[in-house]
Amino acid sequence: MSNRSGSAALRRFPGMAPIAWFSLAFLYIPMVAIVAYAFNSGDRALVWEGFSTIWFTRIFANPEIIDSTIVSFKLAGIAMVVSTAMALGIALVLERWSTRGRVLALSLITAPLIIPEIVAGVATLGFIRIVGIHTGFLALVLAHVAFCIPFALLPIRARLQHIDRAVFEAGADLGATDWKLFRRVTLPVLMPGIISGALLAFIISLDDFIISSFLSSADSTTLPIYLFGLIRKGVSPAVNAVSTVLLVLSAVIVTSTYLLTQRRDRT
Amino acid sequence: MSSTRKAAPGQLPQWAALPGLATALILTGGPLVVVVLFSVMTQPEYGGGVVWKLSAEAYRRFFVDTDFLGNTSFNTAYLSVFGLSFLLAGITTVACVAMGFPLALWMSNQSPRAQTILVLLVTIPFWTNLLVRTYAWILLLNDNGAINSATNAVGLGKHELLNTPFASGIGLVYTFLPFMVLPIYALLERFDFRLAEAAYDLGARRTTVVRRVIYPAARPGIIAGLFLVFVPALGSYVQPALLGGGKSLLVGNLIAAQYGEARNWPFGSALSILLLVVVLIALLVLVAWSRRTGTKVELT
Repeated sequence: MSNRSGSAALRRFPGMAPIAWFSLAFLYIPMVAIVAYAFNSGDRALVWEGFSTIWFTRIFANPEIIDSTIVSFKLAGIAMVVSTAMALGIALVLERWSTRGRVLALSLITAPLIIPEIVAGVATLGFIRIVGIHTGFLALVLAHVAFCIPFALLPIRARLQHIDRAVFEAGADLGATDWKLFRRVTLPVLMPGIISGALLAFIISLDDFIISSFLSSADSTTLPIYLFGLIRKGVSPAVNAVSTVLLVLSAVIVTSTYLLTQRRDRT
Repeated sequence: MSSTRKAAPGQLPQWAALPGLATALILTGGPLVVVVLFSVMTQPEYGGGVVWKLSAEAYRRFFVDTDFLGNTSFNTAYLSVFGLSFLLAGITTVACVAMGFPLALWMSNQSPRAQTILVLLVTIPFWTNLLVRTYAWILLLNDNGAINSATNAVGLGKHELLNTPFASGIGLVYTFLPFMVLPIYALLERFDFRLAEAAYDLGARRTTVVRRVIYPAARPGIIAGLFLVFVPALGSYVQPALLGGGKSLLVGNLIAAQYGEARNWPFGSALSILLLVVVLIALLVLVAWSRRTGTKVELT
């Protein structure tokens, strides 16, 4: 970061500040609206009847919300662990490959970032039918692992590129076995990348609605699928409260990921 | 980076990449193959799935309308769905550039501490649940929502904002704005603004500086942003379903309907293939553009 003559330049772009403030307001007014309405005591979503946390109590007592939340967290947890482990394996092997092989492998792995989600959803539905897997939790796990790998891979690769390879050579010169080197050097130095990759995979899995909607069954309804059904019925205080919880959750995860990557930049 | 066959210290043996690569090959590649196959198969009499009999009917249906007497005519209904999706994705992309570029430029001129907070502020909506972000606009655009209450209070009356293509568009811009801001900011954050100062000192006007100094520096980010906004907007499903009220049917909704109530998987697959073709063309155009302007774009 070294453009500290910036403030002088800024005075030369006077048109930018109003648009920037407008854009920030555009991003945050809707979120503020959700959070504010979530603390409404009334039964109607849009008529303010006083401050209350009653809707948070009610959603945590709603078995459908609890069940779908458990499905979502189980799914996101499994997808996070499996996709991060796979991404770590890929990251640590990929740099041995020729540029051509690496580009080919990366295009395959990052394809989920480019394929429209709706296409990935129907395609995976067709695929599981052909290989004989029913819609349900297993189908969800398979699909989520596949589309979480690129998100887990990006921070790990970014971290790897920042590391001086000499630390590995030093470890080897000091007589560490391959396993010891992996456990005592590779894992610790990559840990910030691994953690942010894992958190991103978790949040991406938790967020997914479109692909999941084609693969879930009645007993594996995820929270976004349940939420979509609720939203279809219109605005309600329950949706406001659930949305607020999800909003806070992503803010916490993103902030911790961000703090981790900041620490990476400083070291 | 050189390629070595033998593992350097710290690298893993080749098999470590196998689970991930196999998963990507089977679970990302496999479904794509299936969709190509499904698109040239026959629709069963009842239910979903396909009958394994080659047929070009799904693609024919896209262009040709056959009435009950067997007369055929050119069908523009599905083409116009693609056209509308293209238009809405295009408007969304333009709006994201119009808002995102100034925001990124402004952010890159703040103090380092403020920049840290601003990046976080732009990133949080990016990772917030898509349904939550879309629902927020239902709250605001609703007949009794904040915007209508405000216009009503100042005597402008109420307007039907929800369940319109306009609402879909707002939802799309809202969803994808961070996708445009972050790649542009990533470049401008490293940009040496003394170059802009120098241009001013040499007598350049503000528009010239933005056009000839700032824009070339930000161009790879803009190109990456165009792709990151346009492609998902083109295949969007949630925003038109929840905000558009089914009035503005887009490709994504059409594909979902073929796999849902219409139970025409071959046609849904053919539509998916056509959508993928459009995405690939968009990708190639942007790659060609970045090559011609000599900019290196990194999407991943």
